[in-house]
Amino acid sequence: MQRFLDPTVLNAISGLDLVAKTVVDGFVAGLHRSPDFGFSQEFAEYRAYTPGDDLRHVDWNVFARTERAYLKRYRGETNSLLTILLDASNSMKYTSHSVTKMDYARFTAASLFYLAIKDQRDAAGLIVFDDEVRNYIRPSMRQGQLQRLLAGLELAEPRARTDFGKPLHHFQEFLRRRGLVVILSDFYERPETIIRTVEPLRFHGNEVVLFHILDPKEINPNMNEAVVLVDLETRDHMEVTPDYLNKDYREKIDAHIAALRDGAKGAGMDYHLLVTNQPLDGVLSEYLTIRQGRD
Amino acid sequence: MGLLAPWFLAGALAIGVPLYLHLLRRHTSTPQQFSSLMFVEPRTQSSIHHRRLRYLALLALRLLVLLLLVLAFANPYIKRATVSASGPKLLVVAVDNSFSMRAGTRLDDAKRQAESFLDSRNPAERAQVLAFGSQVQVMSQPVIDPATLRNAVEVIQPGDSRGSFGALAGAMRSISETVQTPVELHVFSDMQRSNMPPSFSEMAMPANVSLVLHPVVKAAVPNWTVESVDAPAQVWDPKKARVEATVAGFDTPAATRTVSLVVNGKTVSSKQANVPTNGRASVEFDALDVPYGFSRCEVKIDSADTLSADDQYFFSVQRSDPQRVLFVHDADDSRSPLYFGDALGSSEQSAFAMETVPASQVQGTDPTKYAFVVLSDVSSLPEGAQNVLTRYVRAGGNLLIAAGTSMARLSTVPVFGNAITGSHYYSRDGAGFATVSDTDTSFTPVGNAAEWGGVKFYYAVSVDPTGAQVIAHLGDQTPLLLEKQIGEGRVIVFASGFDNLTNDLPLHPLFVPFVQETAGNLSGLQQREGMALVDSYMQLRTAKEQAVSVEVIDPQGKRPLSINQATAAQSFQLTDAGFYELRLANGRQDVVGVNADRRESDLAVMPDDVMALWTGRQTNAQSASAANGSQTEDSAPERQPYSLAWYVLVALLAAALAESVLASRYLGTQREEP
Repeated sequence: MQRFLDPTVLNAISGLDLVAKTVVDGFVAGLHRSPDFGFSQEFAEYRAYTPGDDLRHVDWNVFARTERAYLKRYRGETNSLLTILLDASNSMKYTSHSVTKMDYARFTAASLFYLAIKDQRDAAGLIVFDDEVRNYIRPSMRQGQLQRLLAGLELAEPRARTDFGKPLHHFQEFLRRRGLVVILSDFYERPETIIRTVEPLRFHGNEVVLFHILDPKEINPNMNEAVVLVDLETRDHMEVTPDYLNKDYREKIDAHIAALRDGAKGAGMDYHLLVTNQPLDGVLSEYLTIRQGRD
Repeated sequence: MGLLAPWFLAGALAIGVPLYLHLLRRHTSTPQQFSSLMFVEPRTQSSIHHRRLRYLALLALRLLVLLLLVLAFANPYIKRATVSASGPKLLVVAVDNSFSMRAGTRLDDAKRQAESFLDSRNPAERAQVLAFGSQVQVMSQPVIDPATLRNAVEVIQPGDSRGSFGALAGAMRSISETVQTPVELHVFSDMQRSNMPPSFSEMAMPANVSLVLHPVVKAAVPNWTVESVDAPAQVWDPKKARVEATVAGFDTPAATRTVSLVVNGKTVSSKQANVPTNGRASVEFDALDVPYGFSRCEVKIDSADTLSADDQYFFSVQRSDPQRVLFVHDADDSRSPLYFGDALGSSEQSAFAMETVPASQVQGTDPTKYAFVVLSDVSSLPEGAQNVLTRYVRAGGNLLIAAGTSMARLSTVPVFGNAITGSHYYSRDGAGFATVSDTDTSFTPVGNAAEWGGVKFYYAVSVDPTGAQVIAHLGDQTPLLLEKQIGEGRVIVFASGFDNLTNDLPLHPLFVPFVQETAGNLSGLQQREGMALVDSYMQLRTAKEQAVSVEVIDPQGKRPLSINQATAAQSFQLTDAGFYELRLANGRQDVVGVNADRRESDLAVMPDDVMALWTGRQTNAQSASAANGSQTEDSAPERQPYSLAWYVLVALLAAALAESVLASRYLGTQREEP
C-alpha cells in the first residue's frame, strides 16, 4: 500500500480524482477491513415516521407487514462537515524534488475529499486563499460535489503572498455550521499570529486541524557552498553560507515548528507536520480519528 | 642555472584552469529560489570572508603544484664543480683476479706491481685496494697505513669468474659519489679483450676519476681449452650414452691434442684431436661407462700452455635403471603397443622400458612395480584387475587410458569412473575429420593447439567430463584429453586410440614428444643438469619448500652457507670451478660440475688505442708521471650540470600533500551534519 501513497508516485498520476481514489482505496484496504467500510452502511435502529421525514428512508417492507411507517436509521446519517482551507501563496511552489508543496497539498485535500464524500458521506467544501479568498466552494453532499472540489483544487495555482488576517473574516462568514476545518499551509508567519487568526474558527464548535506542509530541504537545507537565496513571495535576495543554513537556520525552523505545535495544542487545535517526501496515510488516519471522535 | 627541456614551460599555461575554477567560476553562482527568507539572516559576511581567504590559500597551493610539475618536466640544473681541487686525492688500486689471471704468473705479477706502486706513493695519500672479476671485492677501506694496504693486496686469491671492466666502472661510480674528491684509479690486469662489456659507455669512468692502466702482459699467448662438453646428465644405458667435447685453440698453431675422458678420477678413454690454427675440433666418446649413482666426470686435454685451469671440463652423470611401463592392450590390437613402444623408446637415452600384456592376462600383474600403466583401448578388463588398478591409483599410481572403438562398448571408463555417453565417427573424406580446437597449455606434454593442427581424428569417444579437467577439446567440443586426481594418483584419458585407425596421431611427428613428455609427467621424472658455469645460480628450493635446510659443499670441501642461509636461501651462486655437492630442499641429492666461462680462455689483449680511449684525456706524459707516483694536479675543477629535478619533485610532493590537507579540511566544513 505504501507504494501508492508515495508522493513521487502520485505525482506521476494525472488527474486528482484518480490520485484521490488511489490513495484512499489503498489506505482503506490497508486497514484490514471490508472495502465497504463506512458508518453510513451500518444499520443503527428503526424510528417511527414523523411528518417531514424523507420518504426514501421509509422501510416499505415493514410498512407492508404492519401498515406502520418506520424509518431505517444508519449510523452514517450523523453527517459531518469538512472544510479545507488551502494556502495558495507563492511559497507553496517550492520543491527540492519532483513534488511541490502545492502538489502535496492538492493530493492531501483531494484524498480527504474523496474519503469524506465517497466513504463517509460527509459534506465537504473548499476555501482557497493567499492574501485574500480566491475561491470558495460551499460544503455540500450534492451529486457532483467531489468533481467540483477537485476542479477547484486544479485551479488553485500559487500566487501572491500569504496573509492569514484578511481572509479570516471571510472564513468566519463561510463557516457557520459546525464541522471539521482543515488548514493546509506552510505557515510562514509568526506562530502567535497564526494561532490568533485561526483560533476564532474554534469558537464556532469546529474541530480545527493544522496541516503544516514543508519540503525536506526547508527543514534540513544541507547546502555545500554559499548561495544566494531568493524569497519566492517577496523576491528578496540574500547570500547565506552553509554554516548558517546547517546550524542557525535549522534551529530557527525547529523552534518555529515547536512553537506552532505548542500554540495549536494550547488553543485546542490539532497540528501535524507533513513533509512532502512522506506518504499521505498519516493525514487520512488523522481525519478518520477526528471523524470517529465526533460521532 | 638553466633548463634541460625548456619547451615544457609551455605547460605553465595550465595554471589558467585553477584560476578559472577559483576566481571566475565562484562568482557565477546562480541564485536559488527558497520558500521564505523568514528564518534567514544576512549576518554571514565574516564567514564568507574567511572562506575566501581559505580559497586563496588553496588556489596558491594548486598553482604551486602546477608550476612545480612544469618545472620538473623542464628539468632545471645548475653548474657544479664535480672535483674539489683542494681536496685530498684518493688512490684506488684494483687488481684483476679473474680466471684468465691464473695463466702463468699473471696474478703474482699484478700483485707485485701493485705493492711496488703502493710503496712508491706519497705516504700521506689515502689508498684503497679492490679486487675485481665479475664482481668487485673491497679488500681494504681508504687508509694510509702501508702495511694494511700491502696485506690487502697479498690476500687476493685467483678466482674463476669472468673479468668485467663494466663492473669495475660501476663500482668506481659508487665510490666517486661517496668520496667527492679526486680519485686516481690504478688497474693491474692482463687487460683481456673479452673483459670489455658490450657497450663501451658501461666502462666509462666518472669525471673525477683518472684512470691509469698497468697491463701485466703486453701480448696474447697461445692457449688451448676444452671449450664445451655435450654429455647426458642421466644415463640409463651406458652403451648408448655419448660424450662430445669441443677443443678450441686461441692464437695457437695447428696441433694434435690428446683428449681424455676421466670418470671418478680414472681415465676411461683417450682420443686424438687435430686442432687447426686458431680453430676448433670435436671429439666423440661412444660410451660412458659409469657406475650407478653420481659420477664426477671430466674431459681433459694435454695442452702444456700457461693456463692449465681450462684444460679440463667438469660434468656429472647420474646412472639409474630405466623405469618400467606396463602397457595393457586387447589381444587383437597389435598396432597400439607397436606405435606407443616405438615412440617411448625412440630416444637414444630412453628412461623407460615398456612391457606389454594382453588385457586377458593382466590378472596377477602387480602394477606397483611400474612407473605408470597404460590401458590401451581394452574392451574388457577382469574384475579383479580393475580393482587392483583402482587401488594402485588411489595409493599414488598413475594411469594413462586410451579410449578407442573397443572401450566405447563399456558404459564407463575403467578406473576413471566417468560415463561414456557416446562415440563420434568423423569422415575420412575431404575435410570431414576432426582436429584439436583448444588445449590447456599448463599441461606441458600437450603444448598449444597450433601444434596439433595437422593431426586428424576420425573417431573419438565422448566421455562425461564431470569432475575431470579437460586438457584438450576437438573442434566439436568433444573432450579429447581429460585428467582427474583419484586418491593420491592421477588418471589421464585420451578419448581416441593409439593405433592409426582412429586418428593419424601415431604417424605424426608430434606423437613422439607427446608420448615421451606424457610418460615423463606421469612417472615424475625430473630433469637434471650435470654442468653449470661459474657465477651462475643454482635454485635450492621452490616457494613451497620454505624453512627446509639445504646443504652445499663447494669444490674445496667446505660448506659456504651459514646455518641461517641454509634454511632461507632461495638460490646459491656457484663461484668456483669444480664439483659442487648439493642436497636440495626437496630432499634430492645432486652433483654439479662447474666450469669457468670459456671466454676467459681467449687471452687476447685489449688494443692500445682502446686502452688510450678508456683512459680519456690523459696524455702519455701524465700517465707516466702518474705511474711514477708523482702528484697529478687537475688544472681546474670541471663544472658539470647538476639536475635539480629530484628536489623539484620533492617540493612537488610536499605541495601536493599540503593541497590535499587544505582541500580536505575545506570540504570537511561542508560535510552534512548528523
